Amino acid sequence: MLQKKICMLGGFAVGKTSLVRRFVQSIFSENYLTTVGVKIDKKSVAFPDKTVDLILWDLAGEDDIGSFRVSYVRGATGLVLVADGTRPATLAVALTLRERCEAEFGAMPFILLFNKSDLTDRWAIPEGEIDELKQRGWQVYLTSALSGEHVDDAFRQLASMVAN
Amino acid sequence: MTSSVEPISLSQKQASNDTGIDREALARLLVEIARNVDPDNHTLYEGVPAADHRLEKLRQLLVGGEISELSRVTHLLDEPEQLATAVGNVLPEATARASHTQLGEALAPAVERAAQRSIQKNPNTLTDILYPVFLPAIRKSIGEKIDQTFQSLNESLRHIFTWHGLKWRLEAWRTGTSFSAVVLKHSLIYRVEHVFLISRASGLLIAHVTSQDATSEDPQLISSMLSAIQDFVKDSFKEKESSGLDTIRFGELRLWSEVGQFATLVAVIRGNPPEELHEVIRDVLLRIHQESSRALERFDGDSSQLPGVETQLQTCVELQHMDSKEGFPWLVLTAVLLVLIVAGGWSFLSWQSAHRWQTYLSRLAVQPGIVVSDQKIRGGDFYVAGLRDPLAADPQSLLPGTEVDPTRVHSNWQFYQSLEPEFVLKRLSASLAPPDSVRLSVIDGRIVAEGEATTTWINRARAAAQQLSAGGPVFDISGVRDVSAEERWQAYVSRLETLPGIIVADQNVRDGQFYITGLRDPLAADPESLLAETQVDPARVHASWQFYQSLEPQFVLKRLTASLTPPDSVRLSVVNDRIVAAGEATTAWINRARTAAQQLSAGGPVFDISGVRDVSPEERWQAYVSRLETQPGIIVAQQNVRDGQFYITGLRDPLAVDPQSLLAGTQVDPARVHSSWQFYQSLEPQFVLKRLTASLYPMDKVRLSIVNGRIVAEGEAPDTWIDRARAAARQLSEGGPEFDISKVRDVSPDARAAEHWQYYVSRLEAQPGIIVAQQTERGGDFYISGLRDPLAADPQALLSGTKVDPARVHSQWQFYQSLDPKFVVKRLTASLSPPKSVRLSIIQGRIVVVGEASAGWISRAQAAADQLSADGVVLDVSQLRELNLAELNQLREAIQSTDIFFSSGRVVPGPEQTPVLDRLADQLKEFAENARKAGVTARFMLTGHSDITGRETANASISAARAETVRALLNKRGVAPELLLVRGAGTFEPAVPENENSRTGNSTNRRVSVTVNLE
Repeated sequence: MLQKKICMLGGFAVGKTSLVRRFVQSIFSENYLTTVGVKIDKKSVAFPDKTVDLILWDLAGEDDIGSFRVSYVRGATGLVLVADGTRPATLAVALTLRERCEAEFGAMPFILLFNKSDLTDRWAIPEGEIDELKQRGWQVYLTSALSGEHVDDAFRQLASMVAN
Repeated sequence: MTSSVEPISLSQKQASNDTGIDREALARLLVEIARNVDPDNHTLYEGVPAADHRLEKLRQLLVGGEISELSRVTHLLDEPEQLATAVGNVLPEATARASHTQLGEALAPAVERAAQRSIQKNPNTLTDILYPVFLPAIRKSIGEKIDQTFQSLNESLRHIFTWHGLKWRLEAWRTGTSFSAVVLKHSLIYRVEHVFLISRASGLLIAHVTSQDATSEDPQLISSMLSAIQDFVKDSFKEKESSGLDTIRFGELRLWSEVGQFATLVAVIRGNPPEELHEVIRDVLLRIHQESSRALERFDGDSSQLPGVETQLQTCVELQHMDSKEGFPWLVLTAVLLVLIVAGGWSFLSWQSAHRWQTYLSRLAVQPGIVVSDQKIRGGDFYVAGLRDPLAADPQSLLPGTEVDPTRVHSNWQFYQSLEPEFVLKRLSASLAPPDSVRLSVIDGRIVAEGEATTTWINRARAAAQQLSAGGPVFDISGVRDVSAEERWQAYVSRLETLPGIIVADQNVRDGQFYITGLRDPLAADPESLLAETQVDPARVHASWQFYQSLEPQFVLKRLTASLTPPDSVRLSVVNDRIVAAGEATTAWINRARTAAQQLSAGGPVFDISGVRDVSPEERWQAYVSRLETQPGIIVAQQNVRDGQFYITGLRDPLAVDPQSLLAGTQVDPARVHSSWQFYQSLEPQFVLKRLTASLYPMDKVRLSIVNGRIVAEGEAPDTWIDRARAAARQLSEGGPEFDISKVRDVSPDARAAEHWQYYVSRLEAQPGIIVAQQTERGGDFYISGLRDPLAADPQALLSGTKVDPARVHSQWQFYQSLDPKFVVKRLTASLSPPKSVRLSIIQGRIVVVGEASAGWISRAQAAADQLSADGVVLDVSQLRELNLAELNQLREAIQSTDIFFSSGRVVPGPEQTPVLDRLADQLKEFAENARKAGVTARFMLTGHSDITGRETANASISAARAETVRALLNKRGVAPELLLVRGAGTFEPAVPENENSRTGNSTNRRVSVTVNLE
């Protein structure tokens, strides 16, 4: 049994919970998010030689970064940063959250998801900016919780990053 | 270009510091370098000087810096103070970089010694340092100890008086342990269902062990959530690190967590665990840390690195303490039971007899006039002593009904006079003998006398009241009016004066004696008897009455009636003060009456006998004979009177009146009448009619009458009767009156039809479930009305074989429900549609339902039973057992938790929903089949939902369309369409609440949900 703690970070209403809801195993109600501030789900990614269980800590999305419970990130081996492709400000939030985590617990592998890729008409992230991020060596995915586009790929990528 | 240069000649002078340098090699090297710079340089080295100062200079040029640095470092190393400063600068960094284990091992002895030394020197320093660490630990430990104490106290209190308590006390005494310890040992029933070992750093699950048959959701998620919650609490309440959330309790379940250095152990316990379990869990955690400390520290989510941990955890799960059933002390229990039964029986009997005795005593206690002063039970005998009033109930007579054995009761009663008002009243009534006009009663504990009495009686009563005043109840005689003897005498006298037939001549009172004289008619009331009704003492009355004959008409009438004895035919009465006689009498009586009238004429009332007619015997005889002659059926042949005797001969029909009976009331002396009658058959029509009536037994519908001397029969009769009547008419034709039967209609065919009809009716009446209310035959048609149960035989069908013409039958049936058990069973079978597992039968008029059925069916049957009981029909459902629907319920839950999801705006589910639909279809079919077996019909409601984007009307139709689509898809998968109901809920029943401003809509809400209904 190989498991890794992964934290999902992102601002308010970027669609983290939706991503999780459709593609992972879940036993807890979404009420936990508002009560305890975290909801835990599991995503099993199977590789030929092993299966990695990603234990996903979906932290309540808050634009108020000050109230972010950084202690939840302790022991995490990877991050899923989620930004809303229709709201550029959410990218800054995700990156700030990552900085806070790394300041506290050191650098760790991460993937960056621009969610809501299905809303092409309202898409607000320029192609160039995404390319620039990719050139930094970052794993960037345009996902849609609605269509499921790239979601599995993203988790698979992260699993391979943290498992080795 | 060729140049000539001087050959290099090395200084021969031995430099002070160039010893050890291979000068020759150096010279060769320099020449080589020179050639490389200038290929034309053909300088050759010849001979190498022993020493050269230039060499030193060269060295200065090349490595001068290094030499001075080196000397500085050498100096640094040689000077301890400087070295310490330098090492001190780098020590923290060096320690951080050093291998932890090696450093730990190297430092451990020194640190230990240092700590030791520090404690020896001043223990306070270390105490101050460790204070923040110890305090929470101590606090926790004390807390647990207190919990433990409370728990043991609670348990002890709870069991102190129970049967278990007794048993456990014995055990505590036997084993020498404290009672509370034994109570805890037996009463704590718990089971450790899960044990999670969770990495403290990441919250990841290291190992999980579960007890047999305990279930839970994904342990990985649970362990993470647990540590998240711990973090949450810690953050929220600013708790210090390491003091973990050690107990979470949820109903029967408790989560106990024990925090270790690298891992937290969480035990999920069902029941009521003892506090000691904390220690056990802590031990396991400690052991795991000891054995795998490094692996735990480095745990990165790969649990294969910690192989032995699960075995350790297993020991926690095996820890369970259920109520032990082993080694139950049957023998001891039996012995104790035997003793208890004997003791219980004895104590019950003695309790019962004591209880009965107490009942008797309480009966005695409520008896007025009985005072129990002492009572006891000794050796099964009852002793009672006390006082009783002779007027009180006999204590012995109170025994029956209390079931106390009279032979075992030893009583010792002293008589006394009770001063309770009712007893005093009784005694007063006996001693004072109050006259009828005085009433004694008890009012508010006082004895009150009311009414009228003589002075003497009042005086006696007053004396009694005075006697009573000492301790007894008050005897109030103020309400008794003193009626003196004179008053009562006057009342008596005036009463006498009003009486007819009594004339008071004189009366007076002298020395308390009463004297009266007067006249009285013997027929008047007796003055003596009137005296008894008054309270005048008869001994003091001296009466002197002269008899006289009152001439008042009613007295004269009485006397005349007594003396004249008038015959029945004479009536005497008083009319306007005259006595009038009216009626008939013989001459002799009239003469006697006249004499009496003459006697009376001197002052008496007038006796008028003019209204009495004189009748002689001959006259009366003639009147009798002529009366006989007018009687039909009697023919007087001859009569005469000879020597005061009357003779009569003639014929009489046996059906005519008896001449003898006519004699009475004629005043003819029967002794003087000599009759001789011959019987004959009178042919007078009325006699013939009587005889015909007797012989023909005319039918109800035939009326015989006499019309102008002829006997006429009218009505309807069957042919047999008409035949007999015709024969009678022929017989009569010789001299008798004519018997006309021409007006009798022959009704034989109708009669036969009616007979058949009656047979049919009786057949109907015998049918269960058919009630004939009314039936008539009119004009050859038959009318019948009544009630019939729809389940009863068809009345029309019963007609066949009765020879009743169906065309002539007019029926009117109202349907009703028969309460005949057979019909009730039929109806119940139709209305309740009992499952195959249920059988209805009729046992002794009761309907008994036996078998297994669903709870719903049972409650319907119960409702039917309740309804029927109001109609007096017993439907016994007590033998119905509830069908086990657990499996069905599980399936139902699975079905109801299934949702079919849709993309935005779509009414056909995506291909990813196909497996969900397939599974759902299978589940629905299985459920429907199982429900059918259980006797219920399952229907599935498919409810379509939409998200809140778009218009409400559009959402409503989309939601309905989704439900319809799913229905079609399920139908395609073999689910019977009639079991599937469809509705659209639009946005009104969202699975998750949606933000009104959401533009994308919530995919969870775009779904079709399923609910299962059982009918």
